[in-house]
Amino acid sequence: MNVRQKLRLKFGAVVILAILAGLISYPQAVSKIPKLYDFFNKPKINLGLDLQGGIHLEYKADLSQVDPAKQKEAMQAMQDAVERKINAFGVAEPVIYTTKSGDEQRLIVELAGIRDINEAKKRIGEMPFLEFKEEEETAVEKIPEDILNKTNETAKNKAQDLLKKALAGEDFAKLAKENSEDPGSKEKGGEYDFVKKGMFVPEYEAVIFDKGLKDGEIYKELVETQFGWHIIKRIEVKPASTREDDSSTRGGGEGDPAKSPDGDSGASNQEFKSAHILIAKKVQPEPKIEVVTTGLTGKNLKSASVGFQNQGLTEPVIDLEFDEEGTKLFAEITKRNIGKRVAILIDGEIITNPTVNSEIPNGKAQITGSYTTTEANELVKRLNEGALPVPIGNPINQQSVEASLGKISLEKSLKAGMIGMVLVIIFMLLFYRFLGLVASFSLLIYSALMISIFKLSGFSPWQITLTLPGIAGFVLSIGMAVDANILIFERTKEEIKKGRDVLSAIEEGFKRAWTSIRDGNMSSIITAFILIEMGTGFVKGFAVTLIIGVIVSMFTAVVITRTILRFVMGRWLENKLWLIGVNKKPVITSEAK
Amino acid sequence: MGLPQSLRSFAMTKHMINIISKTKYAYVFSGVLTVMCIASLFVWGLKLGIDFTGGTLMEVQFENNLPSNSEIEENLKNLNLKSLSLQATGNNTILLRYVPEDDKTNQEVLKILKEKYPQSKDLRTDYANSTISEELKSKSLWSIFWAVAGIMAYIAWAFRKVSRPVPSWKYGMGAIIALVHDILITAGVFSVLGHFYGIEIGIPFVAALLTILGFSVHDTIVVYDRTRENLLRSSSKETFPEVVNRSLNETLVRSINTSMTVIITLLAIYIFGGESIKYFSLALLVGVTFGTYSSIFIASALLVTSYKLQIKKS
Repeated sequence: MNVRQKLRLKFGAVVILAILAGLISYPQAVSKIPKLYDFFNKPKINLGLDLQGGIHLEYKADLSQVDPAKQKEAMQAMQDAVERKINAFGVAEPVIYTTKSGDEQRLIVELAGIRDINEAKKRIGEMPFLEFKEEEETAVEKIPEDILNKTNETAKNKAQDLLKKALAGEDFAKLAKENSEDPGSKEKGGEYDFVKKGMFVPEYEAVIFDKGLKDGEIYKELVETQFGWHIIKRIEVKPASTREDDSSTRGGGEGDPAKSPDGDSGASNQEFKSAHILIAKKVQPEPKIEVVTTGLTGKNLKSASVGFQNQGLTEPVIDLEFDEEGTKLFAEITKRNIGKRVAILIDGEIITNPTVNSEIPNGKAQITGSYTTTEANELVKRLNEGALPVPIGNPINQQSVEASLGKISLEKSLKAGMIGMVLVIIFMLLFYRFLGLVASFSLLIYSALMISIFKLSGFSPWQITLTLPGIAGFVLSIGMAVDANILIFERTKEEIKKGRDVLSAIEEGFKRAWTSIRDGNMSSIITAFILIEMGTGFVKGFAVTLIIGVIVSMFTAVVITRTILRFVMGRWLENKLWLIGVNKKPVITSEAK
Repeated sequence: MGLPQSLRSFAMTKHMINIISKTKYAYVFSGVLTVMCIASLFVWGLKLGIDFTGGTLMEVQFENNLPSNSEIEENLKNLNLKSLSLQATGNNTILLRYVPEDDKTNQEVLKILKEKYPQSKDLRTDYANSTISEELKSKSLWSIFWAVAGIMAYIAWAFRKVSRPVPSWKYGMGAIIALVHDILITAGVFSVLGHFYGIEIGIPFVAALLTILGFSVHDTIVVYDRTRENLLRSSSKETFPEVVNRSLNETLVRSINTSMTVIITLLAIYIFGGESIKYFSLALLVGVTFGTYSSIFIASALLVTSYKLQIKKS
């Protein structure tokens, strides 16, 4: 293949590239041929929210409760849940992704062309944050046994003294008031009002009923219970009244010998009135119980439904069903918590807190709360549309653009781009005439290539979104794209003036100008990369188009312009130098003054 | 053809314009301007937008009659919006700015506006809380730092070969001084605009500054590149200032022309491009214009000045 043939081939390639790029960027040109039009009309530019209207929301995920190793997973689950929710809302192509900023994890939701922004926000805001928590005992510092014994010895002695005094006939009420350590009864002289039998601890009731004590009599011995040492006085015993709420009169507080109400209720056919003096016993502090996360959250929820607790009862319950992982987790949680409580929380509030009776291996849990049927249905709908693994809160950053404003921005910026391009072409024609004409063709090819890249990027994993700043970057790059040509043409003119013939001057121009073009564009690329690193929407859109623009323009200005010039230039230009803006026959200039 | 004709004649004749001899005037002009800009930055500072302060920016469009600012203020009085400011823009729209940045407040504002002016329409609601704005602030400062560092490293590399008669790091210094000059003037202009016209700067402004950095250096590099080439081939008769001046003359037309095409497109964006990118393009416009000026009149002049100082010393 000789040089001429090679050039023809190259020129042919440029022409084909130009036609293809032209058709992709402006398929309307072949609107008369439906098949071709449909084919080229397929790729579309992905417009940013600022150009088509939409909303950009940034949420901060509260991961304080999540194991650092599982944060990524939690964020993914959150993203999936929000996606599910948005899809239920029916938005075309929502863009939802997570980013990390310092230590913070963020969820970004971008909804294009959405009409009712507030509705969308409300939908996300109402997503329930479902979690399961278990009780965990934390170790509390123990009191040494000998100290404990010594203290209790003193307490017991004190109780013995008091018992002696009481039996000796001192005023029981006064003794109680001064010495009793039961805050519930001491002010009343140690007296309790009528209580049904079975309400107090057995040791206490045994004294009242089984030791042959009469009304008004003080028991002769100290009675030891879990609370300490009691001096007990029976006041009155009588058959139980029928009034249901009598039991509510029992006193509260520390040292109250009342038992929990689930005690033996069969014996409550009697009630009694009594008084006591308590000297409290010091015991090892009880282990602290804290409610901690279990790792089972909304991300493991498969479905929720409304059920009814018992046949005929109208109180609705919510049945939860877990996914595979959740089932396993729930089985483990229930297994290790038999006899303890597991709390179900929605949006941080404990909804129900049942005691686990046995391991639950089937992945089903039930929420019983005081819901009306409507409320239960509403909650079930919310749970099914996406329950969150971590709380989401309000957006910390929002940018919303109304669709009409986006459209205006798009139209205006496109107009600005067109005007800019026309002016640059006029400028190039004025200054460089024939060379300018070639450069203008290159510029048109450049623009078509850029638009094609924008459109075709949709078929690759690196889809480029065209934003308003992106258009600004594109328009700016039109101005910069001819830079390289100006450098080359100026150099060419210089070389002609130095006496070279046109063709070799052009070759020389390309060769000499290359370092300048490379160095100059390098600095633009450096700054553009730093801009991309900054990462915010505005800057990114601008920087991405600028980088692509700089690279593509180097290609069009150097390769395409050169190929066209080589192809069309020839000896015929030698006598028409005005065509390239050099209006004199070259003179040999001396290098220095 | 008036302009091109006369410009062309510079390069054609043996008589070059002696740019280097006019250095004094350029220094005075740039010095005064830079000092004024620094003073303005100190006294008035830059008016930071919600990107950097946190807060809400809302654009509301009204039908036909634009209500007066005081009327809207009166209507929103009950909400006690901290530092509420209103600014009418084109197309019957008003920009509302205030400090609170929570969704609830925004909803209330919109509700009141909708009640009082049923035809009003919320075009845009942007808000950022302080986490975001602090983050953007530090990101911006770091990106400027890295851009300057990157460009310095690049210049040092690009000029590693020239060390006679002026060491290559001085080229780097010259380019950096020119660059700082361009950035200061752009920032100064926006400080004045912020003080008198309430124009706020945000992330776009930072993007513009970084672009100016790249562009300004681009121009300077082209001139230095030519100086480098001429130095390597110059006859010994030519003095260093002469070589620099010749290089400047040789690249003058292209310096102006490349900037012209960019300025043309920026003007198009500024005039026709709409509100959102208006001040972004204005910042670029100021920066690119001064960038071109400084690469012609300051960057090379600094080389000559430092050369002269070097001679004096020895």
